[in-house]
Amino acid sequence: MNLLEYEAKGILQNSNIPIPKGIPFRTNDPLPKAPTVLKSQVHTGGRGKAGGVIVVREQSEIASATNRIFNLALKDEKPQTVLAEELLEISHEYYLSIIINRATADIELVAHKEGGIEIESHDASEFLRRSLTSNSTDTLGEMLAEYYDLPGQVFTLQELVKNLYSCFIKSDATLLEINPLILTKDNTLMAGDCKMTLDDDAAFRHPEWHFEQMPTNANFVTLNPHGSIATIANGAGLAMATVDAVKQAGLTPANFLDIGGGATVEGIVTSFQMILEFPNVNAIVINIFGGIVRCDDVANAILEARKQFTNLPHLYIRLSGNKSAEATRLLADAGLILYPDLPACLKELTNG
Amino acid sequence: MDKSIFTGKNVIVQGITGKNGQFHARNMIAYGTNIVAGVTPGKGGRAVDGIPVYNSVIEAQKDIMVDASVIFVPAPFAKGAIFEAIEASIPLIVCITEHIPVHDMLAVRRRLKNSKSTLIGPNCPGVLTPGNQLLGIIPAALSMHGDTAVVSRSGTLTYETMDLLTKAGFGQKYIIGIGGDMIRGTNFIECLELFENDPEVQRIVMIGEIGGTDEIAAADYIKAYVTKPVYAYIAGHSAPVGVQMGHAGAILGENNQESATAKTEYLTKSGAITADSITELVNRVQ
Repeated sequence: MNLLEYEAKGILQNSNIPIPKGIPFRTNDPLPKAPTVLKSQVHTGGRGKAGGVIVVREQSEIASATNRIFNLALKDEKPQTVLAEELLEISHEYYLSIIINRATADIELVAHKEGGIEIESHDASEFLRRSLTSNSTDTLGEMLAEYYDLPGQVFTLQELVKNLYSCFIKSDATLLEINPLILTKDNTLMAGDCKMTLDDDAAFRHPEWHFEQMPTNANFVTLNPHGSIATIANGAGLAMATVDAVKQAGLTPANFLDIGGGATVEGIVTSFQMILEFPNVNAIVINIFGGIVRCDDVANAILEARKQFTNLPHLYIRLSGNKSAEATRLLADAGLILYPDLPACLKELTNG
Repeated sequence: MDKSIFTGKNVIVQGITGKNGQFHARNMIAYGTNIVAGVTPGKGGRAVDGIPVYNSVIEAQKDIMVDASVIFVPAPFAKGAIFEAIEASIPLIVCITEHIPVHDMLAVRRRLKNSKSTLIGPNCPGVLTPGNQLLGIIPAALSMHGDTAVVSRSGTLTYETMDLLTKAGFGQKYIIGIGGDMIRGTNFIECLELFENDPEVQRIVMIGEIGGTDEIAAADYIKAYVTKPVYAYIAGHSAPVGVQMGHAGAILGENNQESATAKTEYLTKSGAITADSITELVNRVQ
């Protein structure tokens, strides 16, 4: 789950990590005071370049700037919240983050001397990368002071690394990125912007998690809202493979859907309902391999969906594995044909 | 990884009193797996289908020499269950549980270092050695003993592969589901090493996904060390960046080596035989 800047900064503040003074506000709230910088709170990146950050120096300009920023859609997303922050006198911008290295199963501190919007253009070899599990935070703070060339900030950086690491662990974060880490003209270091990703699977131990965008259903992903072919499969791998095959056949898949191992008839019927939301879908490819899932359950769900939704697009069904003979009989009685495999489904679909 | 860890005799099920644990313990027994005990904290002294239940792995280990544990414990308690098995020095731990927090798995990986245990999973269908034993939830009826080895990050896609291989006359020696999470106990390379060193294995089928760079590392390993034919398929060619596709680990990062296309190309360059679909891949198997 990705947090908005103000949500992430709230967590930083609770972990004693310095952030600029700021007030998140919504359309009905009182207007902030100039001078200030208004920052659109959206989940998409590249906000600054797209006009989602506005510096307002005169109070007379606040109302129009606020109106503009609330109505600016960034990649189809309009902000519900805008963050009004103090204007800072910036001396330099650094980059600092904590990441999980999947390959080594380790937590790493990543730093770069030049932070800001061009961070992705730096070569990977230019970054300072150190393990947080095999180095003490004091050592890393010292190392960082040397790397950033900030000899006077050793203690501040040690404190910062210690607090960031404990924040990362305590929050069950999978990414904590401070970009830029700002050094102000009066030599204060603070988090100018913050990107934070929390682990959805750890939600059970975080009753305090209340964010604008709560975890989305990873088992249903919209790939193209205007796609013409919907897909239903069981298991993440098979569902991805089904989408791949549809695309490879020259068609446009609308969605990825994994009905999961414990799929029930009601659950599958709900899936059909979600698919019917796509306006251009004219066919549904159903690719089930019954390992744990019973194909006859899926067949019953298909029959139930046909009863409930009269506008169901044409179905191209492949059911194999557990209870597939029973499923074939159930569907044949209702006049539905089954294809032996996915390529056969797609061949019929592209010819028809 | 040594093949002897999959020929262990005495298997326990952690979480045997739960619905899944009980159901799959029965399935495993039906296939011939020697389940000697179950573990559920607070339910020691009971029995499930005549199998004694203990409060802890250590307690079970006092009565029986345990070779392997299959874990079905719910995600919030899975870290504790894996720790218990590691502390009891169980050689093979297979964790089926899905949705374990990433930080818990990082702690597990640290605990595994310098331990006597190998962990398969989590979020995996387990390990099947056809004709020998089932450690997990793989539908063994679709398999057939033979000389092909399969390693996969997926569940159903593995079952499908196994079924296609069996129908094409290629029996299997190993089916190993390493799991769909970001942080896993065992990776492709350890399995490839096992397959390469087992003289009974004639060919290898590898199924990867988007996200992470484990398939890239595996490709380097194949190029350097594997002499047997490797057939590889990577799922998720249509995945958008930054969106999780079902599995927690199936999320495309900014690194351009994480995509299905990049991984497929790299595997091809490294000597693997690749295809754009599982059906096509199995058609190429010789």
